[in-house]
Order: sequence, then C-alpha cells, then structure tokens
Amino acid sequence: MTVRPPTLRDKRRYVLVKVDPPGTVIDQKELYYAISDAVTSLWGDSVAGVIVQAVICAEGRYVVIRCRRGTERELSVALSTITQYRDAKIALRIIATSGTIDSLRDRMNAPSDTSSPDAPPREVRIGDADYEIVHCDGQKIDVIEKGFKNTHRLFLTRTDLENHHAATIPDGI
Amino acid sequence: MKITDAAVCPFPNGDSSVRRFALEAAALGFDSLVAIDTPSAMYGDVEVRAGLFIRNAGMKEVIAQVKRVRDPKTVISVKAGDAGFNRAVAGFRGVHILRGIHAADKNAFDHVTAKIAADNRLAIDIDLSVLIAARGVPRQRAIQRYRDVLVLEERFEFPLTLSTYARSVLDLRAVREITGLCSLLGMDLPDVERAFAGVGTATEPPVPSVRVVS
Repeated sequence: MTVRPPTLRDKRRYVLVKVDPPGTVIDQKELYYAISDAVTSLWGDSVAGVIVQAVICAEGRYVVIRCRRGTERELSVALSTITQYRDAKIALRIIATSGTIDSLRDRMNAPSDTSSPDAPPREVRIGDADYEIVHCDGQKIDVIEKGFKNTHRLFLTRTDLENHHAATIPDGI
Repeated sequence: MKITDAAVCPFPNGDSSVRRFALEAAALGFDSLVAIDTPSAMYGDVEVRAGLFIRNAGMKEVIAQVKRVRDPKTVISVKAGDAGFNRAVAGFRGVHILRGIHAADKNAFDHVTAKIAADNRLAIDIDLSVLIAARGVPRQRAIQRYRDVLVLEERFEFPLTLSTYARSVLDLRAVREITGLCSLLGMDLPDVERAFAGVGTATEPPVPSVRVVS
C-alpha cells in the first residue's frame, strides 16, 4: 500500500506521560494493553476506535502516547483511571500534549531542579523494621522494607526521616 | 478560593506520610487537603486540615463523636446510611460532609434531605476513587447516582466536595485530571471549581440571616 500524502493523513497528537513511582520498568506492549483496557472500559469500543491510542516510546520514566487529534481529552481522562500495571500500583502523570514528538523530547530531557546535593544514607530503621531507600529526589524519599515478605513501598520526605531519627536516637532532641 | 482534596488517608492508614502528601498535592495544583485522623498543620504552601470520618455509627454515636472534637478546624464527615439517617445527619449542624452517597440506597438522598443539607450547608461528597479504580457496573452505578445528586444540587444549591480518598500519593490526581473525571458526571469547569472550594463553604461559620444596622 502506498503512503498517503500529508494532506490525507490522520492528524495526530502526542501525549507525554510521566510514570510514578520512579523505577517502574515499562514494557511498551503491556502498557499499551493497560491503556487500551482503560480507554475501552471508560469510553467503550466505539470511542476507543476513534482515539486509536498507541504507545510510541518509553524512555526512563517518560512515555509518549499517540492519539487522534481532538481526542486528547478522552485519552487523558482514561489515562487518569490507570492504577495497576503488572500487579504493581502506578500513576500516569500527564506532562504535556503536542503535535510533534520532537517538542516532547525537549521536555523529557529537561533537568530536574529538585535534586539535593546531600544524599541520605541507603538504609533507615523505622520502628522494628529496616528499610532500603530506593528513590531520593529532593525532599521526596521512597523506601521499601527489607526482606521477602511485606516489601511494600513507603512514600516519605527527608523531614519525616530526620524527625523519626530525632525521636528515636536518645541524644537526638 | 482554596482548591481542596476533601479526603486523603496518610500513614498509618496509607503508605505515604502527610508531608509527602502535601508535597505531591502542591505539585498537582492543590492548596489544601483534608487528612483523615491527622492533626491540622501547614506544610509549605499546603494547608492540611484534620479530618474525622464517622463510619457505621448511629445518630447517637455521631452526636457523641462530634461533641468530643476539640480542634475547631476539624472537618467532620459521616458515611451515608438510609434515608432517615441521612436526614438526621443533614439536620445536625456539627457535621460538615456526608460521604459515600454512591454506596447508599437509591432513595437515601432525596429532595427533602437535599433541602435540609442546603439550609445547614452540609456538603455532599463525590468520591473520585470509584470513578478512577472501579470498572464496569460499580462505576456505572456511581456515575448514575452522582448525576442524580447533581440534579438536586442544581435545584437546592447545597455544597459539593471532591475527594480522591488517596491512601498513597499514587492515588492523587492533578486538578486538570479531576476536572476531566468530573466531566463524566456532567460537571463543567465552574461546577468543579465550586466543588473544590466546597470544604471551605461547608466549614465556614454561618452568616446570620438577620443583620442589625445601627
């Protein structure tokens, strides 16, 4: 089949999405199925057929999703209903919508201004359990309990850990 | 006008600390949060208001629990029950928000309760977690029930609130995303803005209907 001339092609829009929590490994195909499921569940097959969503690329925490022009709102509402991916809890944060992937790449490569120069220790003790710090970005600190069981993630801040240490170390206060 | 998420559940009810909730909420466009079972505080630019959520209690228990509240800034909410219970809650001035209308009986919130709620400025909560996490019939039923509530709101003008019931920062949604979700219920932008400010409307002290002019 020959390629259609530009004037006859469908107009597309590209949505840049950030995946939370950081460190989630993204498989494009599985994410596509999650998005497709959310779109179909919310809007039905007829609207899903108009949106024609597709996962274009996944780089680190960022994912570019394509849709037909004029259906960005429907797609973004459906994206906000995605809560699970591979039995893990995730959230898709919409960053921007554009007509070209190039302009979204600039946003992907924008440096984060929230990083903090003094890194916290890699392990912390909260209550009776040891936790490993899995992500640290400015004030935000994510920890996971060490071990095989109950290894759920806790979302804390640097101040929480400092206050906790001040309260648990005898000479801390 | 403050943009408020009317219910979040920080640690130990959830997996995120209240400070982390405040940090994420600020990034998502919120000015304040109502945190269930958490003391009031100010974290950066985000005001966290203490929230008391009374569940599975009779009217006597509701009155007793409301009397026990010491902090005047506490946002008191009650889970909806049958029609008689909801009417009694709407007539009791100590309660600010009636939650879980989508899970109550179909006739649990009628025009009489709506009128009483409007008179006493009792807000009706819209639980966004159902729209976000549920699929199929439960979500359809919730949309249907909330659309019914919005018909009464248009007629009687009682306040509305919007809650994500986030137990994790991953459950929070941006203001723009919530606006999109509310469009599923037929709410336009001014309606959503009013609902975001609903906690303030429901908790501010009542203005006397008669003003003495000297």
